[in-house]
Amino acid sequence: MIEHAPAVLDVRDVRKTYAGDVEAVRGVSLSVARGRLLVLAGASGCGKTSLLKMINRLEETSGGSILFGGEDIDGMDPVALRRRIGWVMQGDGLFPHMSVRRNVGLIPQLAGQDPARVELRVREMLELVRLDPDEFGERLPAELSGGQRQRVGFARALAGEPELVLMDEPFSALDPITRDGLQQDFRALQAELGFAAVMVTHDMAEALIMAHEVAVMREGQLVQRGTPRELMASPVDDYVTGLLETPRRQVQAIAELGR
Amino acid sequence: MNANLAERWAELPDLLAGHVLLSLSAILVGLTLSLPLGIYAASRPRLAGLVLNLASIVQTIPGLALLALMVPLLGGTIGYAPAFLALMLYSILPILRNTIVGLQGVDPVVRDAARGIGMTAREQLWRVELPLALPVIVAGLRTAVVWVVGAATLATPVGASSLGNYIFAGLQTRNWLSVLFGCLFAAGLAIILDQMIRLLEVAARERRSRLAGLVGLALAVLLTVTIAPRFVDFGPAGRNAREAGEVARMARLSDTTIRVGAKAFTEQYILGALLEDRLAGAGGRVERRDNLGSSIAFDALRSGEIDVYVDYSGTIWATVMNRPEPVNRHAMLAEMTGWLWAEHGILALGSLGFENAYGFAMARESAEALGVASLADLAPLAAELTVGGDAEVFSRPEWVMTRDSYGLSAMQTRAMDATFMYGAVRDGQVDLISAYTTDGRIAAFDLVVLDDPLAVLPPYDAVVLLSPGAAANPALVDVLASLIGTIDDDAMREANRRVDLDRQTPAQAAAWLAGRIGPEGAAQ
Repeated sequence: MIEHAPAVLDVRDVRKTYAGDVEAVRGVSLSVARGRLLVLAGASGCGKTSLLKMINRLEETSGGSILFGGEDIDGMDPVALRRRIGWVMQGDGLFPHMSVRRNVGLIPQLAGQDPARVELRVREMLELVRLDPDEFGERLPAELSGGQRQRVGFARALAGEPELVLMDEPFSALDPITRDGLQQDFRALQAELGFAAVMVTHDMAEALIMAHEVAVMREGQLVQRGTPRELMASPVDDYVTGLLETPRRQVQAIAELGR
Repeated sequence: MNANLAERWAELPDLLAGHVLLSLSAILVGLTLSLPLGIYAASRPRLAGLVLNLASIVQTIPGLALLALMVPLLGGTIGYAPAFLALMLYSILPILRNTIVGLQGVDPVVRDAARGIGMTAREQLWRVELPLALPVIVAGLRTAVVWVVGAATLATPVGASSLGNYIFAGLQTRNWLSVLFGCLFAAGLAIILDQMIRLLEVAARERRSRLAGLVGLALAVLLTVTIAPRFVDFGPAGRNAREAGEVARMARLSDTTIRVGAKAFTEQYILGALLEDRLAGAGGRVERRDNLGSSIAFDALRSGEIDVYVDYSGTIWATVMNRPEPVNRHAMLAEMTGWLWAEHGILALGSLGFENAYGFAMARESAEALGVASLADLAPLAAELTVGGDAEVFSRPEWVMTRDSYGLSAMQTRAMDATFMYGAVRDGQVDLISAYTTDGRIAAFDLVVLDDPLAVLPPYDAVVLLSPGAAANPALVDVLASLIGTIDDDAMREANRRVDLDRQTPAQAAAWLAGRIGPEGAAQ
């Protein structure tokens, strides 16, 4: 496979069983290297969000192990772990009572950085996500568009200089045009900063466009793992073929319009 | 009217101070208990359900009952402590409920975000959950303030002075200006505090430190001004200045503080004023505890919370000694005196000379039309008649025995405040009432008191009762003994009439009584 850089994240045979013997994740192994984006795809209920939440210990594993930077996360303080991992969620998850500036500066501030450094970091981050700090800094989340809010969400996640960013359906609440712009910007950001990232999505087209590598999950198990090109070329079963059907049809329909 | 207004104004500093001190301390302690409890319970649904149910039960107890219940719970203590405790309990529910609801109402997405970016539980609470729940919690605090400031007017019957003194005393003496005074100041206080808290919340949310400072300052000024009279002695300008000169010459009770109790009706206010006058005249420092509930007054005397008050032999007989059977007047006095002394060390000094009995009164016109002269004539008419009485009378053995002895169980009963019942029977809204025989309105409204041929209604001699502590003070006993046997039925009825109908103050009526009795010792 494509192991040309040391793995930031190493997931080994991880399981998750909920009360009532519901098995959400049944032995999944994955790894993500620096600068790479792994997309977890699959129908809803396939266990991809549970897997994501185990990585920063929002949920605990029932078996297997997860290594972050080579260290088993079980031995780490969950709060310290989460501060080293960026977290972006569906519908932005911004704090509605805090200005953009305070939202973005929160993680450096909690880490105990002095106000001047926090302020510098906030400006840097907002410029990175292409929001003018002077124009947007004092606004409340409710005074921003959906796309702007999600940009602030990225800025907040990146402000702590994370080695890894976890994203749970970050673009799903956005309109297609905003989504496209943000997807491009995210790839550019990642190329510039070099963090590793894991993104959960149910949108296969998004997975194919953005991912370095796609991991398709079904009923708690990994069905197929590969680059978008490998997936398109040789889906392993009907389930993966079915997931690829929608983007494939869309592309064909659009191509026919151009003839 | 002007004298009335001036007198009401003069009472204001003390009553307002009592009210503010009582309600604010109750709210502050309620807040410091319910806020942490609410925070702790919000993330524990079963505990949250339990504490909310408990607090709701407290809330369903009527305010007056909750206050009254605190007196026996505190072993007969009256005054600030039971009132504070009841109001504090009262303030808990709205704050507790809104803290729990506010915290539980924080968007789970925001909660997840706080956890996901690496906040500790404490940081989540202080930086995210509490700020987001703040408007809801403040709304609860505001509800508590309005409730407690309102309910503090009910502290009067348990002996804590508050703006309720205006309302209770005004209601009993038909002094509507006094009632209005109490209502307006209590409502005004509630509105001002409510708005100040609202502004503080706005200031906190919008981070406007100047606004917060201004409101804080205004609040501090309000508190200082209202509470100050409780802690600053205004010296010769104080209430007892008028007696000061006299006192110095004939001080026999020099510097003894004597607490004089009174129940909540006109005659008691007058007698309280009379006792105060006598005791202050002998050099004592008098504190008045007016408007005590009937059984609260006795409990307070027994525990030494008050030193002296006037009660009625029949009341002690039936409600304290639990003796249902009637006996003749003199036997009752003798037995009661012995019992009080033996059981409680309470000294029944003697009868003031008049009797304020329960009697059943009708408008003369309707009594004559129906051909009724005695209770025995009522039985055949009972099904068509309605009897009015104060809240207490229908649960007392006197009514039960009258009803059963004269066959009146078909009669409708209607409870109302004693102030209103005389007018109600005069105007035909009820057919008869349980009147107090010394009430000035019996003669003034042309009512007739029905005969009691079976002698069911017990005698009600007005007796001066002294607490065990007061009974051990010979000078005090001497001064009060000079009042024994000095007031006859007519004198008391006239004094009551002066307040109830001529709108004199109880103090004026007491002065008239004192003039009629003559100087101390003259009557002996």
